[in-house]
Formats: sequence, structure tokens, C-alpha cells
Amino acid sequence: MFGNKSLPKLDYLLFGASLGLAFFGVLGIYSAASSGSPGIFVRQFFWIILGVGVCLIVASVDYHLLVDHGLQFYLCSLGLLGGLLLFGTEINGSKSWIVLGDVQFQPSEIVKLAVILALAQYLGQISRNRLTWQHYTGLSAMILAPVVLIVLQGDLGTALTYLPILAGMTLLVTGLRKKLLLGMLVFSLVVTPLTWLALKDYQKQRILVTLDPDLDPQGIGYQTRQSRIAIGSGGLLGKGVGQGLQSKLGFVPEVHTDFIFALLAEEIGFVGASIILMLYLLVLMRLIHIAETARDRVGILIVTGVASLMFFHVVVNVGMTLGILPAIGIPLPLLSYGGSSIVTTFAALGLALSVFQRRFVY
Amino acid sequence: MPIFQDNRKLVSRLGWARALLVISFLLFFVQLWFLSVLNHEHYRQLAEQNRIRIFPQIAPRGLIYDREGRVLVDNVFEFNLLLFREEAHQLEESVQFLTDGLSLDTELIEEILRKAVGYDRYQPVTIKEDLSMEEVAYLLAHQPEHPELGIVKQPRRLYRYGNLAAHMLGYVGEISLEQLQQPEFAQNKPSDLVGQYGVERSHNQTLTGIDGLRRVLVDSRGRNLLDVENVAPIIGKPLQTTIDLDLQEIAESGLGNDTGAVVAFDARTGEIMAMASRPTFDPNQFARNLSPEEWNNLVDQPDSPLQNRVFQNAFSPGSIFKIIMALAGLERSVIDASSVVRCTGEATFYNRRFDCWREAGHGEIALREAIQHSCNIYFYNLGQKLGIQDIETFSRRMGLGVKTGINLLGEVPGLVPSEKWKRRARGEPWYPGETISVAIGQGPLLATPLQLARAISIIATGRVPALHLVELNLDSPKDAIPFVLPVDFVPENLEQIREAMWSVVNDGGTGQAAQVANFEVCGKTGTAQTISRAAREELSEDSAERFEPNAWFVGFAPRNDPEIVVAVIVQRGGAGGGSAARIAGKMFKGYYKKYRTSVSGFAVAFTQDEADKIL
Repeated sequence: MFGNKSLPKLDYLLFGASLGLAFFGVLGIYSAASSGSPGIFVRQFFWIILGVGVCLIVASVDYHLLVDHGLQFYLCSLGLLGGLLLFGTEINGSKSWIVLGDVQFQPSEIVKLAVILALAQYLGQISRNRLTWQHYTGLSAMILAPVVLIVLQGDLGTALTYLPILAGMTLLVTGLRKKLLLGMLVFSLVVTPLTWLALKDYQKQRILVTLDPDLDPQGIGYQTRQSRIAIGSGGLLGKGVGQGLQSKLGFVPEVHTDFIFALLAEEIGFVGASIILMLYLLVLMRLIHIAETARDRVGILIVTGVASLMFFHVVVNVGMTLGILPAIGIPLPLLSYGGSSIVTTFAALGLALSVFQRRFVY
Repeated sequence: MPIFQDNRKLVSRLGWARALLVISFLLFFVQLWFLSVLNHEHYRQLAEQNRIRIFPQIAPRGLIYDREGRVLVDNVFEFNLLLFREEAHQLEESVQFLTDGLSLDTELIEEILRKAVGYDRYQPVTIKEDLSMEEVAYLLAHQPEHPELGIVKQPRRLYRYGNLAAHMLGYVGEISLEQLQQPEFAQNKPSDLVGQYGVERSHNQTLTGIDGLRRVLVDSRGRNLLDVENVAPIIGKPLQTTIDLDLQEIAESGLGNDTGAVVAFDARTGEIMAMASRPTFDPNQFARNLSPEEWNNLVDQPDSPLQNRVFQNAFSPGSIFKIIMALAGLERSVIDASSVVRCTGEATFYNRRFDCWREAGHGEIALREAIQHSCNIYFYNLGQKLGIQDIETFSRRMGLGVKTGINLLGEVPGLVPSEKWKRRARGEPWYPGETISVAIGQGPLLATPLQLARAISIIATGRVPALHLVELNLDSPKDAIPFVLPVDFVPENLEQIREAMWSVVNDGGTGQAAQVANFEVCGKTGTAQTISRAAREELSEDSAERFEPNAWFVGFAPRNDPEIVVAVIVQRGGAGGGSAARIAGKMFKGYYKKYRTSVSGFAVAFTQDEADKIL
């Protein structure tokens, strides 16, 4: 077998790119904080250090151990989400927060990891690459339980991020089968109108306006319009850190969280924004690489789940910021301010690193 | 190894994920390139407009002074409410807020916004002018929720004396679409206030200042952070008029509520010292947005208050015309001082009966008495001797039928009839009987008070005055001396007429009401029928009142080296010209008190008490 010492234990590319992204996040938050609350800059530092710690701890744990307890994690999570419905604190209309003194935490983020582990456990037990309708039912039930709870908490955006985990991991196992595609088509034909009915008016408006930006350039389209203006006004090299007045004077909403990419693009320009996109591309490419080189099926499944989750977050957030997707408020992983997102993302990367570390049978 | 096989299948599928990833990111790079490189300039401007708010700094118009430097037209500053439309995310909400908070009418706001559709997108719209302090406080308190609203201090035109000299000073109003097309208003943009009437209009370019602007950095809540640029507005140039505020006040109060007009000017220089017209209006109404109701009130009134009767209306001159007839007769030598006509109260010309105003007749009468007592029969005979062609020639030499060239809009030329005119205008030949009517200032003959005053001024001085009411600026073609007629009348003829006019006022003539002690006023009264006597007799008493004749008085003073010319018309003022002569008398008396009783020789302004005493 290969000598243990010649193999890197840590995927430095993945780890380094992640830290690079976190650095850009801190830069953006520094700029946003300079005109608002300076406290968030310090806190983000704290969350990143905590996240890196969690990441390294998770990486050092054998992922098999975690997957073997996937069901337990999953059930605990459902209990946590259910408990929040009863005892959670409401912030911005969603009852999805735990508030401990000065610190707020959104468990629906970290629960994603439990779902990834539980799905990996479930799919890993199926030795064939063909799924029966019982399997599909089971998988749907597993994902719907937390999604329903989170929707009930009033956080549609976060609930939405669970679906790509299921889709990515299932598609990996089954491939693009006609039957599956047909099933998804029927599913969406049934679910879409129901979802449409369930959506709140402002949510419907957001979708309509993205489809037709001229529908209401001054109203709902305002946020995306302002975001595009911020990015466009940055130009090739940007206005310089702290000079992004379009973002900082409040024309772009939520510049330290959901719209941080717009702020950064305004301040560091096309070149800087491209570097950020490249780093994301690198992270995602590395995740796929880790999945490809994983030792076993469970490892592939875990990393695919992590990659799907991250890919969805990046695409939806950057797509919204660039004005090509509807405005759905989900954070940009590693850049957006927020402990839940930072710690969860780093923990997810820790899972991938754990798979990487154990890519060969010793 | 089945498991290993299976995993290879999974791994092969990750290739698809890679492809999806690359395609998505390619899309992002393209969109990013599109936004920040290809369309950078467009978005840079949008960002600029976002955070830089441009507050117009409207330049105050130049002040307008009277001849002694007393301010007639001024500016006051007031707080106006502006709406920056490009920042209004929910226009309905803004309108609702204003309707609730300032109790503004929704329809009114909507009307204002509708009108502003044609403006530049970034040009703010004035929603309400002259905010009260309570309204300002209320708006400032709600500024964070309504960043689209802004309050600015802007000048408003203030006509200090309300309707005093309103027709002459004029008014300002929003520039019209037609005006925007004209080269004169090339510098203007929609919603600008420009001079629309009177001196405000004719000297608009002088009075217009240069607007400044404030470029202010604002945040998304519309709070002003700091001034990026502040270009102060430059006030328009001041304008000194030749109006004498004291004489103007006398003219205004003299007319009172009568319909009519008064004009007075310096016979030596042509400087107009007073110009009043009734009914009148308050130009301050126009300085704010005039409501459609107020506008209709002004336009629909039967006597059209917006007309300056001094030169925008022509009237039958009536007996005033006898002065021109007399001069024509003397100059053409068809009469002399001793030519006598016998007046029996009526006479027949061309088989038609013509009356004198005095039924008993004036008996044997020569030129002096004919003017003094305004005998019609004398002038019928003179008209017959002269013929319409000579009457026309002399009327034109005295300035009738042509504009005086005063630098104000809307002057009418009046009408001097002739055979040619009648054929062209009516398609009929000239009947000799019409000449008889024209001889006493009736018939189709029409003249403005200003034209008659100028004709009398020619009698008084033998020269044509260059009428103006703003200090002439000979460098500007617009202000060049108005059209001047060649006159070379025999001085003795003029003196004869002056003597007769003196007797009208001072020797038991028809114009005794214009007499002033120690100041030799010369003048002529007139009564002008507005419809024929026969038609009048068939009217009911009520309607007859509407067609009461106009009363005239035109004169000058003093008799030697005349200084001031005054013309007065009182519409429906009744026969004999007494009502007009009384107003003229007040004007002469005011002039005398002010300019002739001062020991040192220069003018002393009236106090209100003194003015009251004169009146």
C-alpha cells in the first residue's frame, strides 16, 4: 500500500480556497460595517475561527462513524425544528431562531448536515443503482419532514435549500432516468400550483418580476435593480474598498448578508468579483474531485450532498445578485455575515475533508 | 466486485455535475462582464443619479422699480414641496401620504403629475408651494419613510402693490409648450416660470436670472449627507421703469371700479409715467399655480380684465377726433380762425339728418368755440369740405391706424377708414354720408387711448414723443426708439388749437372738471356712442345702460412748454366727458403738486396723507 506520509491529510486547495472566500467576506463586512454597526466585523471573525475549528474537528472524525448515526442525528434535528416551532424566537417574520443573549443561531442551517448524513446512510444501504417506488417514497418523506417544519417556521428560502440535497444525491444514484424525470415532471406539475397558492403575495411578485423586470422597476424589482446598478457601477477594477457608495448608502438592501456579492463587486470590480467566482468554482471542483476519489459509496454520497447544497446556495445567491434569478433570501456561503451559515458551511466542508483524508483503504 | 462497479457508475455521473457547474459559472462571468464592463458607463450614471440628488436653485427674477427707484415687483422666498419621481417606488403611496398628511386633493396631485410626464425623469415636480411651518415640520418628520419628497426654498414673484399697474407690469406663468419651441426660450425647460404679459414678458430676458443647482449626496432614505456642488443662482437684472408710483396710484384710485383706462406720459421725453386699466387683476395670483377656477374667473368676465385698455383695445374717439379734424382743416386751408358755421342743432347732408349734441344749437360759431363747446355741426361741415381722403391722411400723420411701437405685447393699430379700406373690408363703395360721421369721431374710426394721447402730444409740442416705459437702451434693437412719424405742422395752426383746448378747460368749455389752479391744463372731452342713436332708442332701459356712451378726456399741461399728457377713457361714463375729465384733473393736480411746487425743483415723493388730500 502507499505510504501514509506521502499523502496530504488535508486538501489544501479546498481549505485554502474556503479561507480565501471567508477573507473576501470579511472584507465586504468590514466595508459594510464601516457605515453601519462595527460589531458585525468582529463577530464574523469569531464565527470564522469557530467554523474553521469545527471544520478541522469534523475532518478528523471518520465519516463512517457519523453516517452510522445518521438516523439519530436526523431524528434529533426534527425534534429541534419541532421545538423551535413552539419555543423559537421570531426574527424578520421567521420563527427559526435560537437566541442566547447576544448570539442568534438558526438551527435550520446545521440541520442540513444531519439530512445529508441520513440520506447518505439510507442511499448507502441500497446496493443496486435502481430505486423502487418504496425508496422514492421514503426519500421524499425524509426530505419533506424538515422542509414542512421550516416552511411552518416561515422561512421558505431555507426550506428551498433542502431540495437540491435530495435531488443531487438521488440523481447521483439513479442517473438521469426517463422514469425519474417523468416522475419529477408530474411532481412539479402537482406541486407548483399548490406551492403557488401557498406563496405569499410578495413572494409571488418576486418571481413574476424576475421573469419580467419591467413589470415594476420601482417596486419589487427595486432590490435587484439596485444590485445590478451597484455591480455595473463598479466597473473593471471597482471603486475601492469602503467606496461602494451605491451599496453603502442603503440603495442595495442587506449588503452584509444576502447582497454582499453586489457590495464586493462594486468595490473590487469585475476583477475582484471574478476572483471570488473562481474561488467558488475551485471549491466546487475540488468537492467533485473528492467525491470522485472517495473510498466508498457513502463517501461519494456525503460529498455530493455537500456540493449540491453549496452549488445551490452560490447559484441562487449570485444569480439573484446579478439579476438573473428571483430574489430569494439565502446567504452566500462563506461570504455572507452570519454564524449559522458560516459554521454550517465549514462543518460541511469538514465532512468533505474527512472523506478526502480517508480516500484510500489503508 | 459489484460495489466497486456501482461506485464507478456514480463517479461517471459526477462528470455531468462538473459540466453543469462550468456552464453555470460561465453564465455568471458573462453577466458580470455585461454589467461591470460592457454597460459600466450606464450603471455608473444610474448610481450617480441614485445618490446625487439635484436640487434646482431657481434664480429670482430681477426687481422692477419705478422711476425713483421704488420697488414695484419683488421676490419672496417660500418653502416648496418637491417630488423626486425617480425615487418614488410606490407613487400611489406617496400620493396617499400627501393626501392624508397635508390634506391635498388627490386629483390635484394627479393632475400635476400628469402634466409632468413630459419633463425630464430626474426633474423634480413641485407638488405644493408656500408650505406652512407646520407642513414643513410634518414633512421633515416623515422624511425617512418618504425619501422621494424634498423641501426647497424657492423665490416667488411678489407684486408689492397688488393690482397696481398690473397690466403694465404683467405677470409670470409656466412656460407653454409653444414657447418651448421658440428660439427666445431655448434656455428654458418645462415648468419654468417666464414672463407672460406686460413688462415681465417684453423684458423677460433681462429679468431672467441664471438658475443654480445643488448637487447633494443623499442616502437611500433621502437624507442629505453633504453638498457635492453648490452653484448659487444669479438674480436677474433689475429693470427701472419710467412709471411714477405716485401718479400711478392716482390713476388707479381715480378709475376706482369704473371700466376704462388712464395713461400719462412726459410730453418732452415720451416716458410713460402712469398706465392703468380697469377691470384689473392681481398678478400675485399668477405667481403661484393659478387654479383653473381662478383662470376661468379672469377669462370669462364680460369686461376681460386681462386686457390693457390703454393700447390693447381701440375705441371710437368721439369728439377727441375734432382736434385732428381742426388741424387738418387749418393745414389744408379749408378753414381759418374766422370761418363761421351756423349751428341750429341739426343739419342735413346727403339727404340724411345729422344732429348736434346740443339740440338748441350753438348759433354762429367759429373754430375756437366749436372746439370749446364741441359743436358737431361745425365739424360735419369741415368733414364735408375735407373729404375722407384728407381725413385719412391727417389721421395717419397724427399716428392713428398704426401701432405706437410701445414695447409691450398685444398693441392694436386701431382703424382709419378710407375708400380703399371699405372696398376691401366690406366690398362696398364709400358713402359720402359716412365722412360726416367720421368727422366727429364716430363711424368705423377706432383709436386706442395711447394713440389719442400721442396725437394730443403732437399738438402740444409739435413733435412726436418716443413712447417707452423702460429706460431706453439704444444698444439693444428691441429697445430702439419706436417708430416716429414725420411731422411738420405750421406752428400757428398748432397754437390756435392749443388755445381752443385751453378754453375747453379754463374758459367755460366742456372740460372744466380737469381744471387745476395755477396749472394751465388744455384738453378736449369726448362722448363716443357705442351704438347708433336710433338703435339705442329701441333698447329697454336695462340694456340701454350697457350701451351708455364712453366718456373721454385727452389733454396736456401746462399750456406753454407742455410737460405731461394725460388720456382717460371711462367706458359707459356717460355724455359730456365729465367723468373722464375729473380723473384727468386729479392726474394733472398730482403732477403739479409733485413736480412744480417743490422749491428746489426736484421731485418729492408723496406721503399717503398728501396723496389723500389731492384726491
